[in-house]
Amino acid sequence: MKTYDAVVIGGGIIGLSCTYYLLKKGKSVCLVEKNEIGSGASGACDDMILLQSKAPGISLELAIESLELYRSLPEDLNMDIGFHTRGGMILIDKCEHIDLMNDYVEKQKHYGLDIKIIDKTEVRKKHPYVKENIIASTFGTKDSQVDPMRVLKAFVKNSSDMGMVLNRGKNITEIEKHSSWWKVRFDDESSVETENIIICAGAWSHEVGKLVEVNIPVTSLKGQILVTEQLPPLGKENIWSSDYIVSKLNPELSEGDSTYKKLGIGLSFSQTEDGNYLIGSTREKGIYDKNTTCKAITILTKQITDFFPILKGVNIIRTFAGFRPLSQDGKPIISEVKGKEGLFVATGHGGDGVALAPITGKLMSQLVCGERPSIPLEALSIDRFG
Amino acid sequence: MSKIICRCEEITEDEIIEAISNGARSVTEIKKFTRAGMGLCQGRTCRKSIERILARETGRKVEDIGISSYRKPVRPTKMGSMK
Ligand SMILES: Cc1cc2nc3c(=O)[nH]c(=O)nc-3n(C[C@H](O)[C@H](O)[C@H](O)COP(=O)(O)OP(=O)(O)OC[C@H]3O[C@@H](n4cnc5c(N)ncnc54)[C@H](O)[C@@H]3O)c2cc1C
Ligand code: FES
Repeated sequence: MKTYDAVVIGGGIIGLSCTYYLLKKGKSVCLVEKNEIGSGASGACDDMILLQSKAPGISLELAIESLELYRSLPEDLNMDIGFHTRGGMILIDKCEHIDLMNDYVEKQKHYGLDIKIIDKTEVRKKHPYVKENIIASTFGTKDSQVDPMRVLKAFVKNSSDMGMVLNRGKNITEIEKHSSWWKVRFDDESSVETENIIICAGAWSHEVGKLVEVNIPVTSLKGQILVTEQLPPLGKENIWSSDYIVSKLNPELSEGDSTYKKLGIGLSFSQTEDGNYLIGSTREKGIYDKNTTCKAITILTKQITDFFPILKGVNIIRTFAGFRPLSQDGKPIISEVKGKEGLFVATGHGGDGVALAPITGKLMSQLVCGERPSIPLEALSIDRFG
Repeated sequence: MSKIICRCEEITEDEIIEAISNGARSVTEIKKFTRAGMGLCQGRTCRKSIERILARETGRKVEDIGISSYRKPVRPTKMGSMK
């Protein structure tokens, strides 16, 4: 039987990034995915590397580092991953949000972000189709985007070339701890042995944690998205509404009636390289039902056509939903597990997993190799949940 | 030039075969890797051909490939008409 340096559990963007960076350090890796590559959140999400939306602190620090890695990834992976920096704007159409957004922008500037508030005239210069009664907007130059599917594909291709073994469509039935290694058993009676295990099972990490008797407090934060037909650009920058930031950082301040609140809607609007616009999204906690609902579709449509009336004549061609892996405090878990040598966890990235994938993979490869992580990870340790 | 399989997204047979050699093993993975099936008709035109290519390239039967899902809205819908 082959013994691997590492078994990575979960073939989403986080598991694939960990795999890639471990292989680059010369480790042998077996990636285990119970369904298909990208069958979780990573195959059903938006495409944004948002700096503006990150809470000042470690999240922002990780995002800035990750963006740097994304810049060089197309060359390292020798593939086009749809990386672009178009900048972003958070539209403000409610007077009550102005103070909050001013504060927010000031804090973000402290971290060296190039971001400011622009007035209505400026807003309409950049985005001429936005509604008349817009009040103001933030404007950041660094917000970027990437095509998550292409990132997945590029990681799979490069990792396969470096010898990744892909174990797909099998369920793990048991994980046994031996003196200095682990045995992972599958439902088809096969098994693999490994020195290290890295759990990257997204919104299902809690279940996997049970197999090794570790509490990984992560649940699903479902998001529904609409896709339009291909259109010429309405403007360069990708768009959010200040409700997005408010519902992400301060859900209790969110406005609207109770269905609206329950769906946790914060509007985001970005154009893919192919010209389709993605309109998102809901934030529904603890929901694992992949269907999209008429209610959510109607509210998202109403919101976006309110901001951009011109879209009323545009077709929605597809809708989909994904499950963001949400940790108990909303921050990622990038951690070794104390007392269980060779066990690691990388999940809980919520709505930022695409943005944070490269840095997460890199940090995890350092942890597994016993190196000092290039960003201190105490705040992201699984120990913080007690 | 290789035959176009997905007309909406202009994806050729070669691109689909390349996706399979890069690791795609299902219609959904091919869709994610190439965009084949994600166009205006949402795969109504090309899905069957993709299944056949996948079966051929991986030495499986078309029946064993598994069906890929349709999502709402089943036909393109104007945003102004949603109430
Ligand atoms: C609507 C929506 C919009 C989003 N927009 C953005 C955005 O603009 N920018 C951004 O950065 N992020 C965004 N995200 C978040 C991002 O998609 C996620 O944070 C990220 O994809 C999480 O990746 P992951 O690899 O941790 O999880 P997943 O992609 O869910 O992967 C986990 C994998 O583990 C597998 N698995 C589960 N259990 C087992 C098991 N027992 N054995 C083997 N395999 C198992 C699953 O099948 C799955 O493939 C969005 C998410 C959603 C839903
Ligand atoms: S032909 Fe492939 S999506 Fe229409």
